[in-house]
Amino acid sequence: MNQPQCFGCAFAALAASALLLAAPPKRVKIAVLMYGNKAEFVQLMQRYGRQHPAVTSNLAELTFYDGRYDASVQNDQAQLAINSKYDAIIVNPMDFEANVEVVRKARRAHVPVVVTNARLHTEEMNAEVGSDDVLGGYLEARNVLQKSGCKGNVVIIEGPKGGSGEIQRGQGNMKAISECPAGSVKILERKTANWSRAEALDVMQNWLSRHRGKIDGIIAQNDEMALGAIEAIKSAGLNVHSFHIAGIDGVTDALNAVKQGEMTSILQDAKAQMQASIDIAMRAVEGPGYKPLSPIWKQYANSLQWNDGQSKHYAIPWTVVTRDNADELLQGRK
Amino acid sequence: MHTEEPVEAPERAPAGTVPPRRTGALARVKNYGIVIAFILLCILIGAICQYRVARGEWPENAFVTIDNFLLILYQVSINGILAVGMTMVIVSGGIDLSVGSVLAFAGMLAASCATGSAAATPWSGTYPVAVAVFLALLGGAACGALNGWIIARFRIQAFIATLGMLLAARGFTMSLTGGNPISSLSPQLRWFGVGTVWRVPVPIVLFLAVFAMAWVVLNRTVFGRYVYAVGGNEKSARTSGIRTKWVKLGVYTISGLLAGLAGIVLTAKTGSAQTNAGSSYELDAIAAAVIGGSSLSGGVGTLLGTLFGALIIGVMNNGLDILGVESFYQLIVKGALIVGAVIADSSRARADV
Repeated sequence: MNQPQCFGCAFAALAASALLLAAPPKRVKIAVLMYGNKAEFVQLMQRYGRQHPAVTSNLAELTFYDGRYDASVQNDQAQLAINSKYDAIIVNPMDFEANVEVVRKARRAHVPVVVTNARLHTEEMNAEVGSDDVLGGYLEARNVLQKSGCKGNVVIIEGPKGGSGEIQRGQGNMKAISECPAGSVKILERKTANWSRAEALDVMQNWLSRHRGKIDGIIAQNDEMALGAIEAIKSAGLNVHSFHIAGIDGVTDALNAVKQGEMTSILQDAKAQMQASIDIAMRAVEGPGYKPLSPIWKQYANSLQWNDGQSKHYAIPWTVVTRDNADELLQGRK
Repeated sequence: MHTEEPVEAPERAPAGTVPPRRTGALARVKNYGIVIAFILLCILIGAICQYRVARGEWPENAFVTIDNFLLILYQVSINGILAVGMTMVIVSGGIDLSVGSVLAFAGMLAASCATGSAAATPWSGTYPVAVAVFLALLGGAACGALNGWIIARFRIQAFIATLGMLLAARGFTMSLTGGNPISSLSPQLRWFGVGTVWRVPVPIVLFLAVFAMAWVVLNRTVFGRYVYAVGGNEKSARTSGIRTKWVKLGVYTISGLLAGLAGIVLTAKTGSAQTNAGSSYELDAIAAAVIGGSSLSGGVGTLLGTLFGALIIGVMNNGLDILGVESFYQLIVKGALIVGAVIADSSRARADV
């Protein structure tokens, strides 16, 4: 046997054994049904999903579906995922009622299903992972009111009317306001800007025109609208620092604005929501032996219990973003 | 309002000249009906405000101030720019549903060339602002030209072709950054949204400049006459020697170009290019044109009408907020206004016959 041949044999043997050793037991296939993919928050969830240790170490494989903001599209995608023999489904639903169908279909096919980020009107899912919007709304309003000493005039920029976000965050807003002495805080205006920065800009400009010098606090039910309000204040030639402004979600622009001292943001932890959902789905597929891999369980050790992935509801804590922690959070976005 | 009979213009007038106009007193009143409606609306809202002030409920009349009228113009400018292009398209007998998506695409292109955060797209960074503006206008015009080419070459209905572009341009936008927004824009780009020229906000200046240029194009050039002719009766326009395909290509390219400009302004105004920017803006642009007297069957419409159509929408948005009208009722009022305007217009048209 001459040299090159021998070399070839050795190489082949090596490659074969490497393949055998490296061949994973079987990757868990998870279908992730997102309600849409235009919002930054959804992008963040997808990114953190791909960074989950189970995904990076090839134990799990994620496929993201774009629900195109249509509940019935998501229901069809659930059926597609079931037909394509996915091992588990994670759904970030568009609609509280209409998407219950996703859970029903998955249950019928005995596919584990985890609801993430938003809520569904059912208890049949394996688990629901999200942040309590009432609490989020409460935290942002309380932050604004604490700064103004529980008095003065506030305006509320609302999410799309009738959506669960607007209803629940609105409840939280009102709870914080009702904790102030009766009559001390006046709600001058409340109107929807449909989560949109451009719409909030126009609405806020009109309010500034109507209530010149009278608005003290701005409670925006998401960050984008808070950022629109800030632009409106700047375009009216007023000083942003003479307003108390808060939003919810912790999008990157908002973190930057917090750093400038222009607003407060209540961070909804996209990473924790997505990665907890993946661990819970993995546990449902792999069985009792599975140990959660995401670092978020350690991070929230005090407030979030793993409970062997068996809890029905996982409430991911909110983080109030101030000038102290904005930088650290911004680093994580790079 | 529709005193000109542009359908017959090519036969009546040799290319390059403007057909004679009817300028009777009656025609003039009809021409300015929309202006009168606008003034009445302003007086109505102003009077309600003044009434509340007189009764001591409000400290001041926030509606009738120079600042507030500048604000209305500022808020109208983006829709106004889109509506100028939309009017040309509608007069030519078409419709452009893609302007909102094209706006988002152009805004994203502009932002990608004028941002401090380099990670957004493979090429993104801070280039001279002229590059950003040029790229955005080019991108918008290219989308519009594609619309026009498809409509003219394959004789596809404008509704379908631009509906396709509505979806596709949104897809282009998302694919540029994988769906992420682009922020931290250069001050030079933001100037287009928040800067001023002699104390007048730049978006207003741009809108009025666009309006003036488009008015000249539509009323004082051969191309403008052809646009009316194609919209009035395409077949007779073609038989009288007008190259209708080129006219169509032209109007859709202009509409796309203006959507690109609106994209620059919106991005600069909000300080961020977002993939869902401009959603359903096409409807406001169409509404402005229709309230202003443009007919969706083509051949009829004036830019002056559209200007006031856009202003009426702007005054409603601003005035109803200042009056503190619930947003539900605002939608009802706006819906009634659009349909009412068309009813008024069509009954006037019947009276003409």
